[in-house]
Amino acid sequence: MSTLLELRGVETGYHGVPVVHDLDLTVGEGEVVALLGANGAGKTTVLNTIAGLVPRTGGSLSVLGAPVSSRQRGAQRRTLDVVRRGVGYVPEDRALFYDLTAIENVRLAAARRDRAAVAAALDLFPALAPLTGRAAGLLSGGEQQMLAVARALAARPRLLMIDEMSLGLAPIIAERLLASIRKIADDTGTGILLVEQQVGAVLRVADRAYLLRRGRVVVEGRAADLRARPDLLASSYLGSG
Amino acid sequence: MLTHRASGVINFAHAALGMYVAYAYYKLRQTGELVLPILGLPDRVKIVDAPTVFTAMSVAVALSAVLGLLVYLLVFRWLRTAPALARVVASLGLLLYFVAIVKLRFDRSAGQLPLGAILPAGSVTVSGVAVPYNRLILAAIALAVATVLAVVFKFTRFGMATRAAAENEKGALIVGHSPDKLAVVNWTVASVLAGVSVIFIASVTKQLDPLSTSLLVVPALAAVLVGGLRSFFVTSFAALTIGMLQAGLLNYSTRSTWIPSWLPRSGLNHALPFLVIVIALTVRGASLPGRHEIRESRLPFSPRPRHVVPVTVVGVGLTAAGLLTLDSQWRLAIVVSLIASLIALSSVVLTGYVGQISLAQYAFAGLAGFVTAKLTEARGIPFPWAPLIAVALTTLCGVLVGLPAARVRGLVLAVVTVGAAVAIENLAFKSEALGGLGRVQIDRPELFGLDLGFSAKGADNFRAEFGIFVLIVVACSFIAIANLRRSPTGLRWLAVRANERAAAACGINVTSMKLEAFAVSSMLAGMGGVLLAYRGSLAPESFAVFGALALLAVTYLGGIASITGALLAGVLFSGGILTHVSGGTTGGTSDTAFAVSGLALVIAAVRTPDGVVGFFRRRGAGAGMRLRARAATGDGDSSAMAGSVEAR
Repeated sequence: MSTLLELRGVETGYHGVPVVHDLDLTVGEGEVVALLGANGAGKTTVLNTIAGLVPRTGGSLSVLGAPVSSRQRGAQRRTLDVVRRGVGYVPEDRALFYDLTAIENVRLAAARRDRAAVAAALDLFPALAPLTGRAAGLLSGGEQQMLAVARALAARPRLLMIDEMSLGLAPIIAERLLASIRKIADDTGTGILLVEQQVGAVLRVADRAYLLRRGRVVVEGRAADLRARPDLLASSYLGSG
Repeated sequence: MLTHRASGVINFAHAALGMYVAYAYYKLRQTGELVLPILGLPDRVKIVDAPTVFTAMSVAVALSAVLGLLVYLLVFRWLRTAPALARVVASLGLLLYFVAIVKLRFDRSAGQLPLGAILPAGSVTVSGVAVPYNRLILAAIALAVATVLAVVFKFTRFGMATRAAAENEKGALIVGHSPDKLAVVNWTVASVLAGVSVIFIASVTKQLDPLSTSLLVVPALAAVLVGGLRSFFVTSFAALTIGMLQAGLLNYSTRSTWIPSWLPRSGLNHALPFLVIVIALTVRGASLPGRHEIRESRLPFSPRPRHVVPVTVVGVGLTAAGLLTLDSQWRLAIVVSLIASLIALSSVVLTGYVGQISLAQYAFAGLAGFVTAKLTEARGIPFPWAPLIAVALTTLCGVLVGLPAARVRGLVLAVVTVGAAVAIENLAFKSEALGGLGRVQIDRPELFGLDLGFSAKGADNFRAEFGIFVLIVVACSFIAIANLRRSPTGLRWLAVRANERAAAACGINVTSMKLEAFAVSSMLAGMGGVLLAYRGSLAPESFAVFGALALLAVTYLGGIASITGALLAGVLFSGGILTHVSGGTTGGTSDTAFAVSGLALVIAAVRTPDGVVGFFRRRGAGAGMRLRARAATGDGDSSAMAGSVEAR
């Protein structure tokens, strides 16, 4: 199993104020990794840093085996570089194109003429089938969430990062979606990094998990082990100890 | 419109760029020289001896492409995530720059440039009316271009990506499309279209003028609004219709008899775009923005006024001392600055506090001035009453403009208010009922037997009594606005500015807040206008749209969201204290100064959204924040963290 994503001693922050400290994190091929933590722990910042939307102030980052320079100026260049290497990202706000139809959203992400990828991505969400011609802005919150995941998958990413996938989704749909993500990882070898608040659900499908607190990894291990230690999770989320 | 798609900019300088290219084209046809638009570079380069239409056109296309690229890369690229206001101000700066540079580098005496025909002459008769061929061809070209654009945007991947990137840049990035590259292509195409179309329009109408050609952007934007910023077809049809109606109206109004004599005949066709804008908005606008229309961007900082009483006492004392001791030129400069700061304050209220970009403030001021003059002169209404009625009328007018505006926001509102300003300028100022085309004199103000007139003989000219009167009015207004900003109303205004939907969710009536702000701000502008009227005589030109642009510009430079900014704007305003100190003569400013101030405006828009005031404030605040962060994280000690929270 090769390593798709590797962070070593990564530091990052906003306006000179550090948010994430000395972060080591890896995602391997076909692996589902969960990034957990209370609000404000720095989970979204980690994803944004990998995607290049937030500049990295220290440490090294390599994507699909090749290092990503921290010298590149400007979010546009960094993000395009990472995305074109094969990283898919579903940000917390989904960043859909509301004026475009659902199918146009997905087509834009897919490679030119890659109709198969578009079809495959949409097949995962039968609920979207009757809605492909509708403007994305007219879909419900849950439908938009599905569309955002479908759009990311249409690019056939080698590494997929999803921020708060279950946000706004009915629990049963969220669980189903997690199951299909597990399946994508197993079938295609895509590495998946999930930021998730539904700790129980995500730990059932993930291989490994990192628990962040105030920008530092406090617990790291196999998902099964973490599931057996609810006290650890509770203390981190509730802030005691 | 293409530029809006590409980078969310409504470019007020679009027609100005085209105007420049057209000048360059005709100069090239005449002498074979290409005139360069950049200050500091040589004026002109010789290209060929006797250029044909084809060579000249190719050069013009290349020129507009390069200009479009430069404008995007140097200016709007940096403003993509900036608030709408910064983008408006930047494009206004460019507009001023292009106008000034054309005035500087081309001799504009009539007949200098051969506005030769490019399209074949002759005409065809349609149901009794002769329609020249060249106009038909022009219309056909416009429709063809619209068709091509519509097809490209609807069906190609490039078009789809452009639509996507205009809406959500982050989204475009994470699916692997570069918003920058898309914007570059679109800006280039849009600039070429602007350049070529102004060349053709000038060849057909035989008219090319820095100011009026640049203002072609107003009817064009009206058409764009009808097209809802989306449909190329609707937009170009609307543009053609507006153009035809304008021409028809001009023709009709000079001959017909039923139009009342007090309406200026030449003004009607200029007011038409405003009418179109209002109708388009009434049909299309929504009273709250849709869920995806809210953009995350930092708004100019609006500080809560502090130490109002001591600052006022010191400020008023110093100004009064200045008025009483300094010479007449100083007194004039101080009075101009005071009045300008009052009109700037009206922008601060409307634009800075409530976030409604208005370019009509200066026109409101003019309206009040003209009404005052008319009331005292024709009706014999004495001093305190005439201005009060005028201000009340202006306030009403402000609310009327605010009514359609309550349904729109941001850039679109800027277009509405420009339309309103042009309409007021052409309908009211040029109307015979108010002033006609000449200058208007106004009676000296007198209160309780005290002569408050401004002019006097000799060294006593620009009398201090009038200065003190202005000072009292201005000081009272500033104190009132400072208190309003600190009152619950001020908080509601800021809430509306930050997020209309959230404000509505908190139980704030967004529409009535906006109308309140329009009322207060047009009242302030009206007071400023009345004072201007009493300062001397009035002419329609004194309140032309370009004055409004200049005023918004200095207000932005000063700091659009704070009352200190309004004061600074007064100081910076042309003819004010700064002009006097820097040795300039009061009155007209040279074109070089205009070009430089246009550039300064662009730079200011790119560099600091909070103006001079905010720039200094932020320097202090930023340093403090970093210090606190260092204290908090230096040793990871939680007590330091608590301390920093408290310090905040």
